[in-house]
Amino acid sequence: MVMRRKLCLLASILLFNIGQAGAETQSMISNLANPAIGFVALFRSDVAPKLDRPYGFSFEGAEISLISVVDPYWTLSSNLVFAPDGVDPEEVYATTSQIPGIQLKLGKLRATFGKHGQLHTHAFPFVEAPVIMANTIGEEGFKDAGVEAGWLTPLPWYCELTAGAYQAVGPDADHPLNLGDTSHGNIPYSGHLKNLLDLTDETTVELGGSGLSGMGEDGLHHTAWGADLTFRNIPLRQSNQRGWILQCEYLARGTSGGGLKTTDADGGYASFQYRWSQTWWTGIRGEYARNSTTDILEQDGGLVGQVRKISADVEWLPSEFSLIRAEYSIAGLNPDDGAKRILDQRVLLQMSFTIGFHPPHAY
Amino acid sequence: MRSMIKFSAVLLLLACALPARADLKVATALEDLASVAQVVGGKHVTAFSLCKGYEDPHFVPAKPSLMRAIRNADVFVSAGLELDSGWLPMVLPGSRNPKIQPGAPGFVDASEGVQVLEKPTGTVSRAEGDVHPLGNPHYYLDPKNLKVVADHLAEVFGRLDPANSGEYAANAKSFNEKMDKSLAAWEKEMEPYKGASVVTFHKNFDYFLSRFGLKLLGTVELKPGIPPTPRHLAETAEAMKKAGTRVVLYQPYQDADACEILAKKAGAVAIEEPSEVGGVPQAGDVFKKFDFIVASLVKALAAK
Repeated sequence: MVMRRKLCLLASILLFNIGQAGAETQSMISNLANPAIGFVALFRSDVAPKLDRPYGFSFEGAEISLISVVDPYWTLSSNLVFAPDGVDPEEVYATTSQIPGIQLKLGKLRATFGKHGQLHTHAFPFVEAPVIMANTIGEEGFKDAGVEAGWLTPLPWYCELTAGAYQAVGPDADHPLNLGDTSHGNIPYSGHLKNLLDLTDETTVELGGSGLSGMGEDGLHHTAWGADLTFRNIPLRQSNQRGWILQCEYLARGTSGGGLKTTDADGGYASFQYRWSQTWWTGIRGEYARNSTTDILEQDGGLVGQVRKISADVEWLPSEFSLIRAEYSIAGLNPDDGAKRILDQRVLLQMSFTIGFHPPHAY
Repeated sequence: MRSMIKFSAVLLLLACALPARADLKVATALEDLASVAQVVGGKHVTAFSLCKGYEDPHFVPAKPSLMRAIRNADVFVSAGLELDSGWLPMVLPGSRNPKIQPGAPGFVDASEGVQVLEKPTGTVSRAEGDVHPLGNPHYYLDPKNLKVVADHLAEVFGRLDPANSGEYAANAKSFNEKMDKSLAAWEKEMEPYKGASVVTFHKNFDYFLSRFGLKLLGTVELKPGIPPTPRHLAETAEAMKKAGTRVVLYQPYQDADACEILAKKAGAVAIEEPSEVGGVPQAGDVFKKFDFIVASLVKALAAK
């Protein structure tokens, strides 16, 4: 009862601040009747001898983004994804920046968790997501209906604390984390701390930590947690011609309850990307995942095991709006049940095309 | 009671002795806008730019530290005409500062009221490169447009800080008078070279060329945002030789190598010019910037 009163009071304060801000919100990006519309299409060609998939050219997916101002208080953003297996309203959320220090986001959203988990597919630095993603929070991050509040702290460096509450979901193909207990007491929640410091005008370091937890359909507590570290360099005099990104991330998923506490899957990746010129990037990534599955292990009977993988790619960007990426990867898959080790080599080609407006990607 | 009065009097004296504090914290998208804002605002304003003068204003990295830098700003001056659309829509909401969001009293589109060149007519397509659909956004290369910006900022500052509105208006008037006088001097220096043609890396010098009667023969980049090809450089060099174009202009953040190659092919000279305040160390404010551009361009055009 006391907690409910406190929550009501907090909600009242937040809504009061939104009302009192009184500022009109205009759009920098759209007209009244026409939202800012952007469309990104991804095409792909895979040569993966161990995978039961035909070689050839395929439509990987497309996303249409619609963004516009709702009224003086809210902006609505949406991302509708067209994939070979159907259409998914991947993100549809409202945001407000009318509360000093806080950005509120509510709707169907991609949770603020980790680094790779916040990327749209077309913004992935390599063709495929790190193996550990699909084994912890989801290949494309944790996507669910919920509300998030991000607070920019008054600390003398960029320090953002985000808390979220979501709807019960999973486990399913998109949600490996079992947060699916539908009882009224289950409100999966998350926390994310992001620290970013300017080492120089051109180089930054970012250190983050994330957690996501809730009750599963099995009555047990399921949690994902992670940490990320990124160094990024963008020479100010050559901001669209040179630069590099060194990034590593660790993710894990676990279960607790009934006297049980296990780490169900964990792993991470480290990657380095280098921009040679306005139009060329290269990258290399090493990954390791335990108690994890991949498309090949699933194909071979739903196996899990240890995965070690290296990917290397070259990207050509003739303009900001198109990209062609060639990638080679080699992975050693060691099933936990002692089955024979699998060596999975792939050559991938990916093309991305963007038309219309697309919001800037996060730094 | 007596000691309370004495204590209050001492406090009052101390307060009067303290240096005047800046009343408005003004952040801008360009150094030129910060320079104008500082002159118009005088001692009542602290102005700073998120984009350094030697940084390409199209491609400013939307670093979280920029969001933090403007979280307490009272005013944000955007360049407008979508020049900063590649990063500002990320930085402004990320600041969590309601005072400076688009539409708020503290948000300024500095392009309002300026004479915009090259407004597209007909279909706008990226077949022509990364075009600016609202017109050429580099209006700050025309001294007369900066007068419009000064008046606009005086009006905004005066609305937000009515107590000092008279001072802002007076500062803007003084800025504009100085700009008129300086423009007359620059026009006199550039007069002998009216009609001369130059090549620039990107179409960001068009306002300057138009103001001083110069012509743009072409650009080093193939199309806006598309790097030059060897064939394009060869064709442009031939065109330069035919037209007698002797100067290639580029900014500190552009591809100097391609400009040097073109200049060598064409028997011309490539010179680095700041298009923004701070682009070179000598361009410390808008007046010094134009002083530098005019002096170096005159020298290059005069050379045989």
